[in-house]
Amino acid sequence: MIKNNFIESSISGGLSFLKESVFSDDYASQKGFLQSLDPRIKTATLLLFVVQVLLTKQIVVLLCLYAVSLLLAFLSKIHLGFFLKRTWVFIPLFSLFIAFPAIFSIFTPGETLATLKIAGLELIVTRQGLSGAALFVTRVITSVSFVVLLSTTTKHFKLLKVLRIFGIPQVFVMTLGMCYRYIFLFVGIIENTYLAIKSRVGTKVHSKRGQRIVASNIASLYQRSYRLNEDVYQAMLSRGYNGEPLVLNNFKAGLRDWLWLLCVLTIFVTLTIA
Amino acid sequence: MDNLIFELKNVFFSYLERFPALSDVNLNIRPGEKLTVVGANGSGKSTLLHMLDGLIFPGRGTIKAFGADLKEGVFNDENFSKNFRRKVGLIFQNPDVQLFCPTAKEDIIFGPLQLGIEKEEIENRLEELTGVLNLKDLLDRPPHQLSVGEKRKVALASTLIIDPDVLILDEPTAGLDPLTTRHIINLLVQSNDSGKTIIISTHDLRLAEEISDIIYVFSPGKRIVKSGKPEEILSDGQLLRDNNLIHSYSHKHKNTTHIHPHLH
Repeated sequence: MIKNNFIESSISGGLSFLKESVFSDDYASQKGFLQSLDPRIKTATLLLFVVQVLLTKQIVVLLCLYAVSLLLAFLSKIHLGFFLKRTWVFIPLFSLFIAFPAIFSIFTPGETLATLKIAGLELIVTRQGLSGAALFVTRVITSVSFVVLLSTTTKHFKLLKVLRIFGIPQVFVMTLGMCYRYIFLFVGIIENTYLAIKSRVGTKVHSKRGQRIVASNIASLYQRSYRLNEDVYQAMLSRGYNGEPLVLNNFKAGLRDWLWLLCVLTIFVTLTIA
Repeated sequence: MDNLIFELKNVFFSYLERFPALSDVNLNIRPGEKLTVVGANGSGKSTLLHMLDGLIFPGRGTIKAFGADLKEGVFNDENFSKNFRRKVGLIFQNPDVQLFCPTAKEDIIFGPLQLGIEKEEIENRLEELTGVLNLKDLLDRPPHQLSVGEKRKVALASTLIIDPDVLILDEPTAGLDPLTTRHIINLLVQSNDSGKTIIISTHDLRLAEEISDIIYVFSPGKRIVKSGKPEEILSDGQLLRDNNLIHSYSHKHKNTTHIHPHLH
């Protein structure tokens, strides 16, 4: 029973994650500041911010850059709760756990700030350790914030097209796009298969039988994806594909885009020199 | 000799050389013809259409397209390949197969871009098709956000934009609501009026009756058992019953039970 619930929660969790990524497309459709920029310039400038975050060694500057990311989120009409949830969950929290031991003198010797006694063990928190960990976590959260800003305010197909400006081969970009597209198809199949099984066997299944059902469905899904792969390739051939996909890029950069680029470049150069 | 677009002689085809899909198929298709292939599930209709589109090739027998032998090797010639793909367009039975790009618009313009059609011309054709098929609201949407009918319309547009001389459609109205079905039938009739050759596979005998100059009936044995004008084929109840295209069903009017053949 527990194992079934685990499967059910895994499937529904996976589905809700994917559906949330569809939902985040709504933010990309809003008329905010970042959404109005040319995707190429937006990508280049947000990545410049990420590079700056990696180069900066002062926590105050990092906090200022984090504030800039929050301001950009606000100007792009992204709900603050959604943005914080997206940026703080998983990676920054994970980095917090990684950085936590570094605050103690065992890993980072230095000036004592506080002493903790846990189960008779004396742990010394050092100033150097604490500032190092804070710098690390702030750097991670700020970088993640800029990347999330980029992915949230740009429709994924535009983002894929932007990859081309970094010299990534078109065939690779196209394969990525197709993966994204067909994940949704298979999610639907998984959802329906699971419901079909549930409607016939109910919710109580012996764990071994449950494992067999899941295993056979994984095999069946693999076969379907293999078949689909062949059919899609035929559909591509049918419309003239010969191994070198061609796409229409119709990005247009305006005055606002160039001004924004100039502004970010100025910040980048100033902070790098300072 | 007739001016033929396709000429199939004694064509056999099997999947993995074990599962027969076409058996001794002989077929001639002329320019401007409206031809329908009817048959039960698994009778080889889709296989035939894929063969006409140069996606698979006979195990035995020959197929000629526009006077040239259609063999796998000929598609290595880029000029032949582009020329053939410009002339022949296939709309697949499952629109999910045909819509592999991130947005409907990219799917529609995929074909003409690969075939080297000028960008300005592509934009013009796209604009025209958007109006004809009422696609404006669908263009920027990813395929997974489209309904079955919308997907089928986008798949149709992705082939129509190439403006092929021969339009091959695999079950074009399966699973569609009556209004969309009517819209697609009208579009096919218009395309034929403008000189295009239309080849359709279907179970829908009403569609076959309305749209065909000639009907080919496939048997469960993967061979053509009869061909002829719609009135000749559709009046042969025994032929249709033998090939799983109609069955009898009963219904009541007041207290009298009526039994009729039921067209799929």
